[in-house]
Amino acid sequence: MTSEIWTETFRPSTFKEMVGQEDIVNRVEALANSLNIPHLLFAGPAGTGKSTLALIVVKELFKNTWKDNYLELNASDERGINIVREKVKDFARTKSLGDVPFKVIFLDEADALTPEAQQALRRTMENYSTTCRFILSCNYSSKIIDPIQSRCAIFRFKLLENKAIGKVIDRIAKTKDLSISPGTYEILYEGCEGDCRRCINLLQATAAISPAITPELISTIISNAKPKDIKVVLEYALSGDFKNSREKLLDVMLKESISGQDTIKAIQKEIWNLPIEPEVKVKLTEKTGEVEFRIVEGSDPFIQLEALLASFVLAGMGK
Amino acid sequence: MNQKKISIDITESFEEEITCEEIMEESTDLIEKVPANLNSYFKKVKEESEIPLETVNKTISERKKDSKSFAEKYRPKTLNEIMGQAEAIVKIKIFVANYPKKKKAMVLYGGPGTGKTTMAHAIAKAMDAEIFELNASDLRNKNKLQEVLKPAIEQKSLTKLNKIILVDEVDGICAVDRGGLSELLELISITTYPVIITANDIWKNNLSSLRQKAELVEVREINYNIIKDVLINILKKEKLSINDDVLTKIAVKANGDLRAALNDLQTASRLKDPSKFVPDERNRRTDIFNALKLVLKGKPNNDLLKVYDSVDMQIDEIFLWLEENISKEYSGLDLVRAYDLLSKADVFKGRIHKQQYWRFLVYENALLSYGISSAKKNSNCGFTSYQKPTRILKIWLSNQRNAKKKSIAQKYAKLVHVGYKRAMNEFPIIKQIIQSNPKIQQELKLEKDEIEYIVR
Repeated sequence: MTSEIWTETFRPSTFKEMVGQEDIVNRVEALANSLNIPHLLFAGPAGTGKSTLALIVVKELFKNTWKDNYLELNASDERGINIVREKVKDFARTKSLGDVPFKVIFLDEADALTPEAQQALRRTMENYSTTCRFILSCNYSSKIIDPIQSRCAIFRFKLLENKAIGKVIDRIAKTKDLSISPGTYEILYEGCEGDCRRCINLLQATAAISPAITPELISTIISNAKPKDIKVVLEYALSGDFKNSREKLLDVMLKESISGQDTIKAIQKEIWNLPIEPEVKVKLTEKTGEVEFRIVEGSDPFIQLEALLASFVLAGMGK
Repeated sequence: MNQKKISIDITESFEEEITCEEIMEESTDLIEKVPANLNSYFKKVKEESEIPLETVNKTISERKKDSKSFAEKYRPKTLNEIMGQAEAIVKIKIFVANYPKKKKAMVLYGGPGTGKTTMAHAIAKAMDAEIFELNASDLRNKNKLQEVLKPAIEQKSLTKLNKIILVDEVDGICAVDRGGLSELLELISITTYPVIITANDIWKNNLSSLRQKAELVEVREINYNIIKDVLINILKKEKLSINDDVLTKIAVKANGDLRAALNDLQTASRLKDPSKFVPDERNRRTDIFNALKLVLKGKPNNDLLKVYDSVDMQIDEIFLWLEENISKEYSGLDLVRAYDLLSKADVFKGRIHKQQYWRFLVYENALLSYGISSAKKNSNCGFTSYQKPTRILKIWLSNQRNAKKKSIAQKYAKLVHVGYKRAMNEFPIIKQIIQSNPKIQQELKLEKDEIEYIVR
């Protein structure tokens, strides 16, 4: 069954179809052809092909039986030790079906695992190494504990380049009969920041409106998807209207269920666009960093953000 | 211990039991004050009690004749008699009329003395239904509910056509009632009779699953004008008269709690001179209001460090009250300083939870009381009406609204090999894609209500 979701429809299913990351693809292909892979660690930004390459490896190894021999888990959803103790171990301890003597567990976003869970994983990787291989993916390999890194072959994925993204756009445009106006490539690339998944999603959302893709159309889609309300929150605060600012903040966070951390990320980005003196921007950035630190440490995000808004009120008064 | 001994002693020396209890009630104060010299104390009690014995007996006989409290005696029997709750009553009627098409249980929530239990009984009467009541005085653990409530749910009423199950004071289900709540939920799902549940505080964490299963109806605090009308009415029926000022005072002090007002009225009517009656503080909310006033209006002084001790509330809840109300009193720089201190207190709160080191509470408390009080340059005189914290309620409501978004994001995440969090982050774009193509909606196996959420 082919999917209607383009990120799936156009997901490469062979090594040849992969776009970008040529060096990595070649090395991994060689490993897969030998029918024996070590544990793999794919590190790199989102939307650069880590999951796709893992899927290709599995399909090449197991051919038709890949679904029986493959477990995909996303550690950002369940990051505690239980994911390792239960799901991973249960799957790892049984033997594989077919010619290949091992099964594969793909642990996506492994850097989200707690350190305890990683410690538990480390023994599991060794104990079941005859029956099970791991492919871990992460954004930052530094968040993976050393013992696990030392057990894996590491591959560092880079952000896709303009050219590679262009190739993907062309391929989709050809199949789906889209007309691409000049300037579209640039704005798509800018909007997706090298994240191929995001690029395809943007393209599909745009194409849902019209098959004639123009830079303007893409810009509207991008700006529609951005939580622009954060700006309103800060504007209220700068004008000294704390009450409305606070109301609006709660509203923004709850309406789209945006977490404290994502909210503060949006605030931090917005500071640079505010009509305030450069040194005030720096001061507010520092304050924002402090608040983010507190939230990460386990403070109440809403109260901390309110205190941050209070500092914005202060900045608005020129103090 | 001391009290027990005395009570035995006194029972032996006097024949009439009720009288002794009566005396006991009066003498407990004394007992606390003079526990040391017991023997001389006994004498004193005996001597003192011999004198008022007759008067005590008299009031008892009077009371027997008219033994019900006003609150019981004048408890409304029908829906029409219930004052000041028109909105809630309409909702109850709708619930009963629709039963069991929508939800099978309804939670009436609101402060004490607003008429929740009364409404349940009145609706039963209106429907000519038998009422089966289970309240906090009953043990309500898993076994007990299976033993008592389950048969009630399964069996038909002997005398009447209909039946209503009333679970009173559900927030009183406590740690001892192990498994009680989950059993209750289970029973709600199999019941064939409407279940009415009452609660003071429905926003407690452990009641979240109940909130989902049941229709929520807020029973508001009763307006003091209405309370006063009720008081005047009762005075007429009792052929008593109390001056208008006192009635107003009682009605206002009651804070929307009609039962409290009736009890105060009864007490006042017993006095020789009812016009001197001063109702005592009853409601805990008055306490938090006072504490807020002291902190937000008053000058910082060392007494403030103890200001929250008298408030019958967890410090976390006090936190929410402050957060909600600071901006009503402070502005400008004062406000900024106050929020800064609040956020610092919050840091200590986080540290307590993380390290389980409770001494940090001292710092949290000091920042919240003295600290926030010191944040202002000028205090705002005049009356400020403080507001109940709304954040928890808002969060819950939005979680309800966003439940669909979450379930859709989960389905999407699984299909396209991404984490659920990333799917949530990119939801605005994903939503547009899903919206545009019904085939994708099928592919994700979206439920009907999820499609509604997407298309809307």
